[in-house]
Amino acid sequence: MTSSVIETNQLTKDHFSHILRKRFRAVDGLTLKVETNETYGLLGLNGAGKTTTLKLLVGLLRPTAGTVSVLGHRAGDRRALGRIGFLPENPYFYSYLTGGEFLDFAAELFGLPVKERRERSRALLKMVSMADSENVPLRKCSKGMLQRLGIAQALINDPDVLFLDEPMSGLDPIGRRDVRLIMMELKAQGKTVFFNSHLLPDVNEICDRVGVLHRGRLAGEESVSAISSGGSYQDLEEYFLTTVNQAESERQALVVSK
Amino acid sequence: MSMKALYPMVAIARNTFRETVRDRVLYAFVVFAFILTLAGILLGSISVGQDLRILEDLGLATIAFIGGIIGIFVGTSLVHKEVERRTIYLIVTKPLSRWQFVTGKYIGLALCLLVVSAAMGGFLLGVVALLNPDHAVNPLMVEAVALIYLELLFVIAVATFFSTFATPLMSVVFTLSVWFIGHFALSLRALGRLSSDAATSRFFDFLYWLMPDLASITKIRGDLMYGRQPEMELLVFLCSYVCAYIVLLLSMATVITERREFP
Repeated sequence: MTSSVIETNQLTKDHFSHILRKRFRAVDGLTLKVETNETYGLLGLNGAGKTTTLKLLVGLLRPTAGTVSVLGHRAGDRRALGRIGFLPENPYFYSYLTGGEFLDFAAELFGLPVKERRERSRALLKMVSMADSENVPLRKCSKGMLQRLGIAQALINDPDVLFLDEPMSGLDPIGRRDVRLIMMELKAQGKTVFFNSHLLPDVNEICDRVGVLHRGRLAGEESVSAISSGGSYQDLEEYFLTTVNQAESERQALVVSK
Repeated sequence: MSMKALYPMVAIARNTFRETVRDRVLYAFVVFAFILTLAGILLGSISVGQDLRILEDLGLATIAFIGGIIGIFVGTSLVHKEVERRTIYLIVTKPLSRWQFVTGKYIGLALCLLVVSAAMGGFLLGVVALLNPDHAVNPLMVEAVALIYLELLFVIAVATFFSTFATPLMSVVFTLSVWFIGHFALSLRALGRLSSDAATSRFFDFLYWLMPDLASITKIRGDLMYGRQPEMELLVFLCSYVCAYIVLLLSMATVITERREFP
């Protein structure tokens, strides 16, 4: 049993193009650990491999090489899946369901009894400020409302670990603030949160530690308090840009030397 | 297996049922089936004393045809649509097995077809009773509708299987082919025997054993409409035969889904 809640070791994932089967390495030898009650933000440019990493952690993809474990189990193991919550990027839902029906469906997938399902659904709809929209069909919901419902379904089983892919995406400033507050509340409840984001101010406010992914490799990892203390970097943005630029320079130097 | 283990499967089945019954296209098909059944009255009126017979035959053929069309078009997109719309992300990251997912999808559609078949069968019985109040409800006709439903259960199992790896269009082509060939299974064997080449003969023999013999179901249905009750042993055999195919197809669908990644 590992002490870390999330642990990857030399995690590698290759994708192949459809026709020519050309290999593209999306995640390259990623080794990281996330401890209990930690809020970890994975940062990176578009195409850096953040979403692929998250999909490997929740078992939607299988590693090409390396290992990945969540709560001491192989990623995707049902014992781990029963204790995690997952919000995909731009979540897609069943347009023919209402918000209440959708949450009930998500709860039933965890095997929760009817009474508990109803109680949790109502509490979560209230938590994400959607109590009045319980009976609204999802096809009539705005992107922000769907994002809130996505967060609610990720919390339906009262998970120990949360994986959120761009949780602030599509939200207006009030929605972003609400999600920030929810994530802080989750941290206060002792939960571990692993998320991807582009929004550095939000990351700065929520995270304990950040990792910067560049072209599938972990280019840097630092605690937010160390960055904020103003030692080597002014702020998170400077840390992020410096780390990415440095990783890109090293990569290009390596390409030239080859 | 505890009852709790059934919850996820029931959730998937209920969701699939909801999805299908909330699709307006389904109602268009059912209305079309009602119109086709009523057309039997017109056809029957130009026959010589066979009006009820024609109405019943056309009504049953309509149930089989419309049920099959609904089953194929919904069934072939059953799993594919979840992947295409990425709703699968929310399902496979929950603690349920892939067999629970595949079986749940299948049961959801099977329940929907049960309701549709019962509605179309009920409508046919109602029309027959209206035209001839003395004509008591024919229990053999209820059996005939049940046999149609048995065939539909097989068709949607084939559609579910193909939907796990093929596009909806290809799945429709494959499922229609299996359904069609299933009705001409004996011809496959006869075709093999016509060939002088041993390899060709063996190939058609293999196809005959591989494909389901759906013509038997149609034949028994015909017998029922002529008032001939088939032996119980034969009915039990047919049910077991179709069930074996369904279990095999859903098992293969589970294995394929189990091996899949969802990028």
